[in-house]
Amino acid sequence: MPKRIIYYVPILLIIVLSVFFYFSLSNDTSKISSPIIGKPLPEFSLPSLLTGKSNVRSEDLNEEGTFILNVWASWCVPCRAEHDILMVLNNLHDVKLYGLNYKDKPSEAVNFINKLGNPFKNIGVDQSGRTAIDLGVYGVPETFIIRDGKVIYKHIGPIHMSELDEIIVPILKDSR
Amino acid sequence: MNNIISLSGNLLLIICLATSMLQSLNLFTANSYTNNNVKLFSTIQFTSIVLAFLILIFLFTQSNFGFELVTFHSHSEKPFLYKISGAWGNHEGSLLLWILILTLFNFLYSLSAERDKLYKNKVIAIQSILIIGFVLFSIALSNPFTLNESPQSEGLGLNPILQDPLLAIHPPILYFGYVGFSLVFSLAVAGLLSSNINNVWAETVKSWTFLAWTFLTAGIALGSYWAYYELGWGGYWFWDPVENASLMPWLAATALIHCVVVLQKKNTMQSWTVLLAIITFSLSLMGTFLVRSGVLNSVHTFASDPGRGLYILSFLFLVLITSFTIYALKSDGIDKENSYSIVSRDAGIMVNNWVLITILFIVFLGTIYPLFTDLVLNTSLTVGPSYYVMTITPVIIILLLFMIISPLVNWTAGKLSNVIVKMRYVLISSLTLVLILSLYFFLFSLTELTIIFLCIILILTSISSGIIYSRKNIIITPSLGRTLSHSGFGLLLLAIVSNAVYSEEKIFDAKVGDTLKLSDNTFRFEKINQFEKQNYNSIQAIFYLMDKNKKVEKFSPEIRFYNDPPTITSETSIVHRLFEDIYIVMNVTQATNSISVRIHVKPFMTFLWIGVILIILGGVLSVFIKNKKINA
Repeated sequence: MPKRIIYYVPILLIIVLSVFFYFSLSNDTSKISSPIIGKPLPEFSLPSLLTGKSNVRSEDLNEEGTFILNVWASWCVPCRAEHDILMVLNNLHDVKLYGLNYKDKPSEAVNFINKLGNPFKNIGVDQSGRTAIDLGVYGVPETFIIRDGKVIYKHIGPIHMSELDEIIVPILKDSR
Repeated sequence: MNNIISLSGNLLLIICLATSMLQSLNLFTANSYTNNNVKLFSTIQFTSIVLAFLILIFLFTQSNFGFELVTFHSHSEKPFLYKISGAWGNHEGSLLLWILILTLFNFLYSLSAERDKLYKNKVIAIQSILIIGFVLFSIALSNPFTLNESPQSEGLGLNPILQDPLLAIHPPILYFGYVGFSLVFSLAVAGLLSSNINNVWAETVKSWTFLAWTFLTAGIALGSYWAYYELGWGGYWFWDPVENASLMPWLAATALIHCVVVLQKKNTMQSWTVLLAIITFSLSLMGTFLVRSGVLNSVHTFASDPGRGLYILSFLFLVLITSFTIYALKSDGIDKENSYSIVSRDAGIMVNNWVLITILFIVFLGTIYPLFTDLVLNTSLTVGPSYYVMTITPVIIILLLFMIISPLVNWTAGKLSNVIVKMRYVLISSLTLVLILSLYFFLFSLTELTIIFLCIILILTSISSGIIYSRKNIIITPSLGRTLSHSGFGLLLLAIVSNAVYSEEKIFDAKVGDTLKLSDNTFRFEKINQFEKQNYNSIQAIFYLMDKNKKVEKFSPEIRFYNDPPTITSETSIVHRLFEDIYIVMNVTQATNSISVRIHVKPFMTFLWIGVILIILGGVLSVFIKNKKINA
């Protein structure tokens, strides 16, 4: 019998990791609840990333009507995938889509938008990440839907094409 | 005709499969028929895959759209070079390349002179088992020779971003590194089975380990350089999952090369070395397959072909669980007695082993964190570069500290006072240099200055120890590899830190005739050229870097509009100068009367690449240098 149990640790690790990867294969994204649902957006006023535009303020999004706020960053790989979806969303549906650029270099963020297109009405720059904390953002990307001054839906992680059709668009249609 | 080609391609794979199965029998029987034919069978394994690979390349050069793979990944108008590289620029082809290199290492090893014939056969048997796993995968689930149901007239693969000479050679070199560790793995597992992990074993393993490590380093560097000039973001490392996947085996391998040397010199650290060998290859496997197959980027790509994902995962699981079980059963008691004082080279190397493993763990966590949140919070998030910078910086300082001290102290037991005496000139000169630098650049951040200070000491001590040695011996000394790699590493880190601190960038809206200023540099926007090429139209802006009224350097950033598929690419224009790179990129904008350009001034980039080249040269030397044994 081997004396030292430590030699068996790698085996355990491999089993744990394999189980982990196995479940990652057959996993799907969906929504989770958040304390912000049902409340107005916390107050913020952020400088715009786009030249010649006024600040992005929480009052603008808490007005009557339906708004979407998408938290993104140029360094975030899932955001890149999601960006196409946002472009589609903006082209197909009449929505007021706003961006919140999270902890990013402005030049890289501008480059991102220049390269991939701009689906946003305006983009607020949250370089310190303060506003994101107030919003209760876990990480990027995240998307908030706000109707008549209340957050009605929060989507964590990138929106996939199927989710756009099954979740986002129904919510938007519902509002009209 | 295509039927025959497809059939012969598959037949070659089957021949390789069959011989590999015969070879693997050597693991269980001591004296079989195959025992005497190991060399012949290894040649057959290798030749059959070479032929299969040549067929694939031939199909790509002929643009034979009767085949699925060619249709999806090539195009008749592609330049010839990229038709060839298209053969491995996709999942099926790169798998075949992976197998080709597996059989190549197997073949090379079969030619090597190994005293213990039984042990050698075991190594080849284990290597053959790996080959079986991948060839089966290729035949059943990723067949490169699948025919189209009806022949197509044109291909779909003409992505201009992927048409790049560096991208053509980057995967093969990286694969040489990854797969090189398969042989190290086989040597380690066979060593465990034969209970002969000792300094003689380390001698064989050392060359192969350094060889694989050198290729891996070069592969990562090429990828990084490609990102630097092609992506146009001004960065060279983005901490994205694909990059991390190659960094993780590199970290483990770097720990491994040091342990192999210790094992060879002092006949200690047996079980740790073997464990590192297994871990390095495991990470290489994970790196290529889990990442390239898309698990880490997006769960859905993988799910689109669940068969492949499941096969790879099961195969990985089988290989790893078997090897770690063998490790658990056999490694107890293989460690030879090893006592050393806290101040000794042994201790220094051990500390840095742990530092490297810590960094590996940090990168691992950062890479799988998105997967983890995906499972637990049902979402995929990315951790930003700041996570890596914040967590790795303190550990890097420890790493540097021990990289400086360890080579200066003796094995087994050394004296710290000796080290300080040895280093006195170096310490004084580095301190002066850092002071001058900080005053000149107005930089007083303690962390950055500490790292810069340590890097300068590391470079100086590495060089001076190399010089002292080379007075006694002629040219190639055992420590020359280390001298090169360690001073290269110091230079690399020095460049990374100063680059992070002193880089400048600015976006300009520019009209022809404008003068743009960024720090001390003045640029003139001379003119705009428009021209048409075979498959794209181009807008090219001409800038000059001015010194008073003289034109010093010319820049020609470009935006290309490709027709098929309609794609826009932005070509950066980089001028490498000794102390800084200047980097101009045009942005795509709707504005008509002016263009938007981004100018980066990135100091010490040249030193960064020189550092990398020195590290690689050190690796190359170490493949060939024979170390002396030290009696503990």
